[in-house]
Amino acid sequence: MISLEEFRLIRDYIEKHCGIHLTDDKVYLVETRLTTLMIEQGCKAFGDLYQKSLKDTTHALRDKIIEAITTNETFWFRDMHPFGILNEVLFKQFSDEIRSGRRMKIRIWCSACSTGQEPYSIAMTFLEYMRQYPGTIRPEHLEIQATDISSTVLFLGKLGRYDSLSMSRGLAEDFRNRYFETTDNKIWTISNDIKKMVTFKKMNLQESFNHIGRQDIIFCRNILIYFSMEFKQDILHRIANLLRPNGYLFLGASESIIMYTKEYEMLRHAMGLYYQVK
Amino acid sequence: MRILSVDDSAATRHFIRKAIDVIGFEFLEAADGKEGLEVVERENGRIDLILLDRHMPVMDGIEMLQALKENESFKDIPVTMVTVELERDEIQKAIDMGAKNYLVKPFSQENLIGKIMEGLELEL
Repeated sequence: MISLEEFRLIRDYIEKHCGIHLTDDKVYLVETRLTTLMIEQGCKAFGDLYQKSLKDTTHALRDKIIEAITTNETFWFRDMHPFGILNEVLFKQFSDEIRSGRRMKIRIWCSACSTGQEPYSIAMTFLEYMRQYPGTIRPEHLEIQATDISSTVLFLGKLGRYDSLSMSRGLAEDFRNRYFETTDNKIWTISNDIKKMVTFKKMNLQESFNHIGRQDIIFCRNILIYFSMEFKQDILHRIANLLRPNGYLFLGASESIIMYTKEYEMLRHAMGLYYQVK
Repeated sequence: MRILSVDDSAATRHFIRKAIDVIGFEFLEAADGKEGLEVVERENGRIDLILLDRHMPVMDGIEMLQALKENESFKDIPVTMVTVELERDEIQKAIDMGAKNYLVKPFSQENLIGKIMEGLELEL
C-alpha cells in the first residue's frame, strides 16, 4: 500500500517533471500504475522508487514513471469540427496566400499526438482539400510536427499501422480505402504520402518550445485537463508566443481557456470553436 | 522478432496477437506452461520474448519460468510475466527468478507494446 506521504512525494515529482496534476483521490491510480514498476526496479516501497528516480541522471526511470501514469486514448478526426474548419476556412485562406506568394508553408504542431491519429487526420484533410481544389496547394506546402511525452505512442505513430479496432474509431470507409493499405483486412498501414507529411518527436510540454519553431496552427487537445491551473496558463502563454501573427489554436471539444488567458480571441465556424492569437 | 504468448485465456492470446500484428513481429502461442516449453523446444529456443501468464492449469507460469531458467539453452530468453492480480509477492517472486518485467491485466495495446519493447531492449 502506498502511504499518503509517499503518494504526495510522487505526485509532486510527477507534476514537477511533466505537469500532470493529480488530486488526492488519485492515490489508487498511482498505486496500481506504479506497483509493477516499483518491484521491477527492486524497490521495497514507493518512497524507494522516488529516491531511485531522483538519483537517476539518465532520467530513464523518470520517463518510465511518467509513461506509466499517462493515458493515450485517441481516435480519427476526433470532435470532427476542427477538421471541418481546416477544410472550409483555414486551408482556403492559406492556399490563397501561397498562390499569391505571401506564404511558403503551412506549419502545424500537434502537441499531444499519441499514436498518430490526430496528425494523420490533419494530413488526410489536407489531401482531401487538394482533391476538391486541384492545382491550389501541394503536399510540400504542409509541415506537421507531432510530439508526445510517451516513447511507445511515438513509436506506434511513426509505424503508422493500425488494427481493426483502431480503424473503426472515427474513420470513414472511403478515407480508409483511399489512404491506407492492407494485405489481410486486419492491419492497415497509412500511405507513405501521408507518413512523409508528419515528423514525430519526443517532447515534454515543460520543455522550451523554441525548437518547434513558429507555427500557423497548434493542436493542444484533451491534454490541458491533466494540468494545474498555473501550468495551463504557462502553456497557453508559450503557445501564444509560438504562433505566428493571427495564428490558430485548437482545443478539445469540452475545453475552454477563457478563465486562463486573454491572449486569444474565440472564433466559431459551423458548430466548432477555435482560437486566434491576438 | 518472434514473440511467444503462453496463456490459458484464448481471448488474451488473441489480444496479444493483434498487438504483435500491429508492430509486425511473429506471433507464437501456447495454452499452458507444458505446451509453452514444447513450443520453445520445437523452435530450438529461437524465441525473442515470452509473455508468460502466471496462473495456468497443467503447468503454471512460475513452473515454466523455473524450467526455462534451469535449461542452459533457454535461460536467456527474456520473459515478461503476466498476471490478473496485483500481488506484490508474486511479482517479486517472478522478478527474483529472472523475469525481465511484469504486466498486470487489464492492459492496453500501448501498455503491452511498451512492455514488449522494454523486454526486447529495443529503442523506441
